[in-house]
Amino acid sequence: MNNLPEDCIAKILSLTSPRDVCRSSAVSRCFRSAADSDHVWNHFLPSEFPEDFRAPEGLPTKKHLFFSLVHNPLLLHGSQLSFSLERSTGNKCYMMAARALNITWGHDQRYWQWISLPDARFKEVAALKMVWWLDITGKINISLLSDNTLYAAYLVFRWNLDPYGFRQPVEASLVLAGTEHDDVQPSMVSLMQNPGSEQGQRAELRSDDWYEVQLGHFFKRRGDMGEIEMSLKETKRPFEKKGLIVHGIEIRPVLP
Amino acid sequence: MSESDMAIIKPEMMKSYIWLETSDGSIQQVEQEVAMFCPFICHQVLQKGAGSSKNNAISLPQKVNPAMLSLIFDYCRFHQLPGRSNKERKVYDEKFMRMDTKRLCELTSAADSLQLKPLVDLTSRALARIIEGKTPEEIREIFHLPDDLTEEEKLEPLKNTMDDPRIRLLNRLYAKKRKELKERAKLKSIEVEERVDERVDERSVDDLLSFINGRDHKVVNTSKSKKKNKKRKEHKNGTCKVSNKDSHNLHSKQRSVDETSSSLGGVSNLHNIEDDIFSRKAEFEDGFIDDEIDPALKEMLDREVEDFARRLNSSWVLSVGQERQPVHFSINGNGDTRRLTGTHS
Repeated sequence: MNNLPEDCIAKILSLTSPRDVCRSSAVSRCFRSAADSDHVWNHFLPSEFPEDFRAPEGLPTKKHLFFSLVHNPLLLHGSQLSFSLERSTGNKCYMMAARALNITWGHDQRYWQWISLPDARFKEVAALKMVWWLDITGKINISLLSDNTLYAAYLVFRWNLDPYGFRQPVEASLVLAGTEHDDVQPSMVSLMQNPGSEQGQRAELRSDDWYEVQLGHFFKRRGDMGEIEMSLKETKRPFEKKGLIVHGIEIRPVLP
Repeated sequence: MSESDMAIIKPEMMKSYIWLETSDGSIQQVEQEVAMFCPFICHQVLQKGAGSSKNNAISLPQKVNPAMLSLIFDYCRFHQLPGRSNKERKVYDEKFMRMDTKRLCELTSAADSLQLKPLVDLTSRALARIIEGKTPEEIREIFHLPDDLTEEEKLEPLKNTMDDPRIRLLNRLYAKKRKELKERAKLKSIEVEERVDERVDERSVDDLLSFINGRDHKVVNTSKSKKKNKKRKEHKNGTCKVSNKDSHNLHSKQRSVDETSSSLGGVSNLHNIEDDIFSRKAEFEDGFIDDEIDPALKEMLDREVEDFARRLNSSWVLSVGQERQPVHFSINGNGDTRRLTGTHS
């Protein structure tokens, strides 16, 4: 292996994963120089970036750019969409701000308020005062995502001091906009931790101290077009819901 | 031109041959269509008219020894026939790749100097599969590579991405923490006792922060960050006692602390808070070079640590008698504060 030229080693490393390449940089001098080369990290960076993407300045190498995008999501689309990379594959991840979602009655101060929280990624989050018709929908263009990847969408939220009306599971759905919606059954997800009801997805606590619940998943193939529509609804039960704080909807690859 | 020369010279032969000389001086001839499959040879023949006779043999690059050459030509001989199906080629390639690592490397080297891209791709993929998932020590062993990086240099890759030398220390702590995390998760009841015994900090958030920033003695270990870690632990315990209103502030301060320590940019005093709750000693062996240099792994450990710290927090609150309910825990129908089980994805 000593005799292999550096660009051969770089080529071999680009066929592994970001983690393996990081490990390789501690093997030996020649490995390190290959492992840190732009050629390898270019391979892990997406081949296509969203339209208004601007690489952060002051990053000397592609490796720096890669890890910058992994750890520091960039705000795009008027600061309503965050863009980052999934660290083990370099696949693209997004989070849509609550303002970018369609929240029924969201414009009405009696029902929803828009507040700023210090630990939110976006300027505003939606705080539910009280509503009967809960309907939160988001749409994202599927071409923004990485090819040949299984993605899942999550509603990111938390509770205020006294939530009410969320003990029962609510409806979540994820469809490709334009397809037949009638035969797609929404799944029931539980926003709370009800030990009794095992059915469907449950909310999980994230590392950033928000909760998330999976709305659905889909596989993005090369050349797929259209929009993915994700929604969370509770419109059937005749009692009010209170106390939900919506951060946004996150779309990220499903890890094996 | 050399082709027609050869045709004239040896009209009775069905095949034409190209003469090649390897680095060890030995000369051999190979069927033309096989040899011409290699771009390097092709170039030599067409541009320079070489290879037509023994005296005019093409001298091959140094990395191509006779053994590798014959392997390469086996490959070429199979693939240059247009009649083969894709499946046949795949099956052949799979079998062809079965050789030891050393030969794979030599083959890659030789194929690369002959510019035979399909073969280079094939061998590269095979080598990539070997490298995947291995630690640096294992890779060095398999490929007989010299261990020629200094300790400093081995830690540098992380420095490049994180820009903070103290992250290195943190990673060592993480590795230790990970072990302790697992132990402690099993001994949960004992933990509760331990925590009750530990010093309970009644100070306000700001007092604590200035305390942390100011103090730099009381050493358990040699490393600075360890000292700060110790203070973090007290800080963490103090968190539980702070009022609801403050807890949100603290929470956000904690958040910013976490983020700054794990993102680019060195921050002088702020480390990952959860860090030190566990580590007491600085034992820097154990070969977790892996964790030190791998930012990805570090982030995963960050999460595990934070998660565990939260678990600590909540069971501490429960043990003290549920005097307050932290804002960020969910409340189910029964009114119990419940921790979510399992980590997020």
